[in-house]
Amino acid sequence: MNKFLSITGTILVSFILTVSTFPLGSFTPDWTQLFLIYWIIAIPMSIGLFSSWIVGILVDVIMGSTLGINALMFTMVTYLISMIHHIVRYITIFQQSIIIFIVLVIKVTFILWIEAILDINNHGFSIYWTCLTSAILWPVVFYFLRMIRRRYNVTG
Amino acid sequence: MNRFYQKSTNDFYTFILLTILSITTLALDHKYKQIDQIRSFISDLIVYPITMISSLPKSMIDDAIRESTNLDALEQEISRLKKENLSLKIKLQELASLRGENIRLRKITRESKVTSNKQTIVKVINSSASPVKRVVVIDKGKNDGIFIGQNVIGTKGLVGQIIETNSLTSKVILITEPSHDTPGEINRTGEKIIVSGSPQDKKLVVNFVSTNSDIQAGDVISTSGAGNRFKPKIPIGKVKNVSNDLDTEFKIVEIEPFEDPKRMPELILIWDYKPKENINE
Repeated sequence: MNKFLSITGTILVSFILTVSTFPLGSFTPDWTQLFLIYWIIAIPMSIGLFSSWIVGILVDVIMGSTLGINALMFTMVTYLISMIHHIVRYITIFQQSIIIFIVLVIKVTFILWIEAILDINNHGFSIYWTCLTSAILWPVVFYFLRMIRRRYNVTG
Repeated sequence: MNRFYQKSTNDFYTFILLTILSITTLALDHKYKQIDQIRSFISDLIVYPITMISSLPKSMIDDAIRESTNLDALEQEISRLKKENLSLKIKLQELASLRGENIRLRKITRESKVTSNKQTIVKVINSSASPVKRVVVIDKGKNDGIFIGQNVIGTKGLVGQIIETNSLTSKVILITEPSHDTPGEINRTGEKIIVSGSPQDKKLVVNFVSTNSDIQAGDVISTSGAGNRFKPKIPIGKVKNVSNDLDTEFKIVEIEPFEDPKRMPELILIWDYKPKENINE
């Protein structure tokens, strides 16, 4: 129960952070994605693909994008990270930032592809800044969530 | 080892299933606009409280600023408002006589168009609701009868139109959004133009004005009503700068909008104009 509450609570916090950093435009960090990646690395058995998909749908509604884009991307990133989480868990935080940067670049590229296929031009190439700001913020997110995880004793 | 293998194949099938599900929702939402109910349901249940919470700090700061405004400033404001009220009252008298005349003339020309005066003042609860588009969220929705395409104005001119309605909130796209075009008209000459948004906040541009067009700095632009999307004759802005582009055959026209919607706490919805077609984003 502790686990469910703390994961849902932090995801809600990430939504609030997302909405309040909208004025940054393309520099808005991908808060929800970072929070989700942390939980996948920390307790890989608890965050599944289904829950990522649902979080993705919620993010779609918040961002006002076509329903499904972020759902697809969140599922993909979860799948990717859960495949390599054995590696990601044991490297330093700086190296984790680099991994996250690469994963987010892949994600953003896919988003741009899908939007090009559907002929929507919501984003320009400036959306790649998101990857950089998110990667820079990763250590902050990591220590914040680790504090919460230790405090409420969340284990996978 | 066997268990691990089992889990990874399961994961793989789940992944494929969810991918197909996402593509289905994408297709439904993009092509057929079928799942708006789901979107508005999630919007009301989760996004509305989140928006309210995230706008709390800003509204608290606003309140603090308002309370710290000293008495002198308030008195000055009151006297200014009194003066303004007086002049507005005088104008209103003129308007009343004009309206009577207008109705009489309408009767003569047998034009049955009745102008209603219903207006709704709405509050902006999130002045940037998207990281990429200029969209604001207002605190009235389907429950108050707001419809998609409804024109949104300020006290000085056009602000935008409604693009999404949920039960409790709606989204307004601003005319300053770069991908949004507004059919306009030069008041002085009656020439029809198309006003687009631009990356800058307080600037609109007109693309493809031929060099022999008679458009000058200081001209007032208002909506033309072409395309049946905006009510005719709503003021949009004033031409600020006109210059010739030497490379192309067109003029560069910059317009300064009358309203600065990013900083407006309240907007006005008008009810006496209903757009004809559905809006495709």
